[in-house]
Amino acid sequence: MTSRDVHDVLNIPSDHSGAPRPSKKGKNHGPRPNLKGLAREVQNLGGDNPIAIVPEVNFFKKRRFASRKPATKWELKPFSNSARGDNGNLILRHWKRKTEDGAPAEASQDSEAQPAEGGTGATEKKVEVLEDSAFAKFNVQVAVPQYNEDQYHSNLQSDDWTKEETDYLLELAKDFDLRWPLIWDRYDFIPKSSAEETANGTSTAVVPAGKSRTMEDLKARYYQVAAKMMAVQKPAQYMTRPEFELYEMMQNFDAEQERKRKQFALNTMSRSKDEAREEESLLLEVKRILARTERFNEERRELYRRLDYPNSDADISPFKSSAGLQTLLQQLMTTDKAKKRKSIMGPGEGTSPASAVPPSAVSETNPVNNRRESIAASSVAPNRRDSDIHTPVTPAEPTPTTATNTKKKGAAPPERRKLTQQEEQVYGVSYHDRLGSGPTFRYEKINKLYSHKSGQQQLRITNALAELDIAARLVMPTAQVTSQFEVLWGAVTGLVDLRKISDRLDGEIKVEEAKKAERDKARGIVNGDKEKAEKKGEQQNGEGGEKDKAAAPQNGDAPAAASVEKNTAGETAQDAPAVAAPDQAKETEVKAEEGEEEKRPGSSGGTGALKRSASVLSTASDKSAKRQKK
Amino acid sequence: MSQQPLASSVQPTDIYGGDEVAAIVLDPGYCHTRAGFAGEEMPKQVIPSFYGQIGERELFGDEYINPRANFEVKNYMNRDSVVEDWDAAANLWEWMLVERLQPPRPLPPSKNGLNIGDDGDVVMDEDGNPSAPPAEGAEEGAEEYEKPLYENPLLMTEAPWNSAKAREKAIEVVMETWSCPAFWLSKTPVLSAFAAGKATALVLDVGGANTSVTAIHDGMVLKRSVQRSHVGGLWLSGQIRTMLDGSEPKVDIVPTFMVENKKPVEAGQPAEARLRKFDFPISNSFRAYEEERVLTEFKESVVEVWRSPGRLLTPGNEDYARSQPGRVFEFPDGYNQMWREQRYKVAEGMWDENAAYGANNADESSRLSKSQTIPGLIKAALDGVDVDVRPNLLANVVVTGSTSLLNGFNDRLNLELGALYPGMKIKIHAAGLTSERRFGAWIGGSILGSLGTFHQMWISRTEYQENGAGIVEKRCK
Repeated sequence: MTSRDVHDVLNIPSDHSGAPRPSKKGKNHGPRPNLKGLAREVQNLGGDNPIAIVPEVNFFKKRRFASRKPATKWELKPFSNSARGDNGNLILRHWKRKTEDGAPAEASQDSEAQPAEGGTGATEKKVEVLEDSAFAKFNVQVAVPQYNEDQYHSNLQSDDWTKEETDYLLELAKDFDLRWPLIWDRYDFIPKSSAEETANGTSTAVVPAGKSRTMEDLKARYYQVAAKMMAVQKPAQYMTRPEFELYEMMQNFDAEQERKRKQFALNTMSRSKDEAREEESLLLEVKRILARTERFNEERRELYRRLDYPNSDADISPFKSSAGLQTLLQQLMTTDKAKKRKSIMGPGEGTSPASAVPPSAVSETNPVNNRRESIAASSVAPNRRDSDIHTPVTPAEPTPTTATNTKKKGAAPPERRKLTQQEEQVYGVSYHDRLGSGPTFRYEKINKLYSHKSGQQQLRITNALAELDIAARLVMPTAQVTSQFEVLWGAVTGLVDLRKISDRLDGEIKVEEAKKAERDKARGIVNGDKEKAEKKGEQQNGEGGEKDKAAAPQNGDAPAAASVEKNTAGETAQDAPAVAAPDQAKETEVKAEEGEEEKRPGSSGGTGALKRSASVLSTASDKSAKRQKK
Repeated sequence: MSQQPLASSVQPTDIYGGDEVAAIVLDPGYCHTRAGFAGEEMPKQVIPSFYGQIGERELFGDEYINPRANFEVKNYMNRDSVVEDWDAAANLWEWMLVERLQPPRPLPPSKNGLNIGDDGDVVMDEDGNPSAPPAEGAEEGAEEYEKPLYENPLLMTEAPWNSAKAREKAIEVVMETWSCPAFWLSKTPVLSAFAAGKATALVLDVGGANTSVTAIHDGMVLKRSVQRSHVGGLWLSGQIRTMLDGSEPKVDIVPTFMVENKKPVEAGQPAEARLRKFDFPISNSFRAYEEERVLTEFKESVVEVWRSPGRLLTPGNEDYARSQPGRVFEFPDGYNQMWREQRYKVAEGMWDENAAYGANNADESSRLSKSQTIPGLIKAALDGVDVDVRPNLLANVVVTGSTSLLNGFNDRLNLELGALYPGMKIKIHAAGLTSERRFGAWIGGSILGSLGTFHQMWISRTEYQENGAGIVEKRCK
């Protein structure tokens, strides 16, 4: 009888349970066990939904403990704690596993005796055999500097701190194991004398509370005391390294800086929400930028590595035979395989030179002719591949790492430190022009200056120098003397140049005047006289200026003039060309106007132009006069 | 097959640094006093600090606080959580520690009724008895033995603002009346921090009578940081009372013991209940105590802390709260009502001094000040410590105390702290279990008292005898 029969009997359409879930059916069929006899019949009654049969368990749960050992015995044992420092007066009791007599598992001291139920009334005898707490060893105390009266007076005097207060501070430091927030929190020093006074009593007396100290004050004092006592006990030069570091650190404690740091921290804490957010975003931004630059640098380094120029003067003798080339190929293949190249180039780009170059170099059966070419090509090609090839070529060095290569190349010679002016003086460093090969004399440098000048000018310059009582050739041409001489020389040449210009202008003006006089005579215009007189006055003024200037060096006595020259050396050196340049420019202007005038003779504009040029001249001479005064 | 536990012979014994010496931890508070053995996870005994008094007789424990003639309910503590009535305190503690925590002890052989006849059997029996006092220090030993707690060190807690006098009194009581072998006095916030597994923490303790904020650094209270206000459970009850008085219609609190039977009524309808008649006057203190129970239930089931962004007083928020589904609370006499925005409003004063009931009072003293609210307390506490430890404290905020179990308390605290210290890492550590929050200080004491390294700290009986009560100030810093 199957379930189908049952369904038939009960008039239940059988397909509604079977049809819609064929997949489940299939699943159920799989694991169904092969049952026999009555069991199978029973199973079949369930049809497609097998009946869950719970097996009857007829044995008890297994014993948990396999061992049949008797339960371990525990006993209430008294113990003391040596870290208490009260000679084991406090005896507490805890449960301990009982040990067999003489068993080595526990410490011998407590296995030896069965201490009677002690309670609090313990005698000395018991204390000896009592077990010490296993936690006593964790009692660690901080070492606080010690000093006696004398040491305090000789080393630790302070205007701000009395000895009592210092004692109090050290006491607190010991009590709180140098936890500064706590020390500061509990710091409440009341000076003794004042306390007595108030005790004695006038009620009106104000209780002078101890100075309120900041944590930095406390730290500074403590470190000061600790460092000094350290140095007293062991001079600094005998200290071991960690000791000295500690000493240094304590000595260099800067309370002010700490205070500032805390102020900053406070400000950071009191930021508003927006500020906090802004700072956060800024930090993010910075991080991103840093990351980017790092990547950029990395890429650049990679690029440089690729651009590395291979040196082609390695020994190529091992490759002159075909066998040598064969081994080269082998080497290349192995290094190529072994190497994991980090490249920023695409994979195709990165591998193509590797596959292209070596075969072309090796596939030649008759390498004698082509060897040169290939080596030349490889040496020219700015390819990283080639630099790799060339390093392994040297047979003595089997580790062709590009890393070492780049290290050597990447580490540029350290930049020369810029010296300050003071340091330059200290070290006697000076800079000069490039020197020619072979020995030279300093005075030759001066001779060179003359060589550019015409003979007449040379003469004038030497005259001027002679007027100043300075030999044309220096007697003792030290570096300083020559440089000063150069300055002086520059000034003299400037003056000589100016004089030359003024002479020429004088000459030109005279010529023009002569021309004009002739023209006037020819035309007979009356009112020209006036102008002429005026112009002549100006002209004389101008000339007077020029003459003054020229005469100045003659009039003044030589050393004074020299000193003046020296003082204003820098200025004149700069001024001279600067003044010369506008002068020249004006000169050309004047010439051009003259040319115009010549084209249009007789016009009134001509006289105006002339007038102007004269005034220009006078200003120029004024300038030079001013310079002279300086 | 499940994994078998390690055999006891291989079990590590000192891996947790524990070393249990059967110390007792006593944690007295204004509302409840808790006691139990160190090393256990919950106090074995929790009884109200309120006790009943009939004439000279004192009755301790919840089950004795019943309506009786001439029955007054008193508390041995004052609202600052400092013991005031030392006689009552000693009696109550002794009742807890001796009657309730200790097994009934056999009477001494002289009194146990077995020794009526002086035959030899009894003597032999006495010799073999392991719990008998040691033979050699018999006289003094016997004397100690008479005292109830001669073999249990006692760890007691105190509020951080406890006075030196009260501390000395505590050690006197413990040493003189119970002759404990050792004693230690620890501050509740320190222990709460230990219970949360932290040695450095900012502890916010929202208890029955007080709310306090204390910074703990490396297991020590930073004294300058201690801040407290009365804004705790009782203050909240006061707010609820004001709210009930002011509501329309006025709601009377009828405590459970007054109600004989009641009929269900519609929401907002007057109660229909028959009240019990007593032929003796019910004292006010008892009635207040019973009313407080009803209010506690109200707090537990209705009151919630406003935790959406912005405060409750922010325009629009109150209307929004009104539109939200409320909660129904039925008083013992059957009166019931739906509470909507009121349930937020009563707790809002903890955070916002302007939102509290009575904020508009002309009377300055009854008004809350900003520094009494929880954000104000935290700010003041942090201002009292060095700036270097503040970030660490904010990253370890421990919340304890049963009033902190109000719905939404931690969310609100997080919001307030975030607004107070933007850009700082703030982490709130609040135990998930109700009991851990309620008994935080006791649990910390339980951990501390069972630590192996702690046993070197106890003030021993000998030390007390040598130095007097002043030693507690020197040692328990």
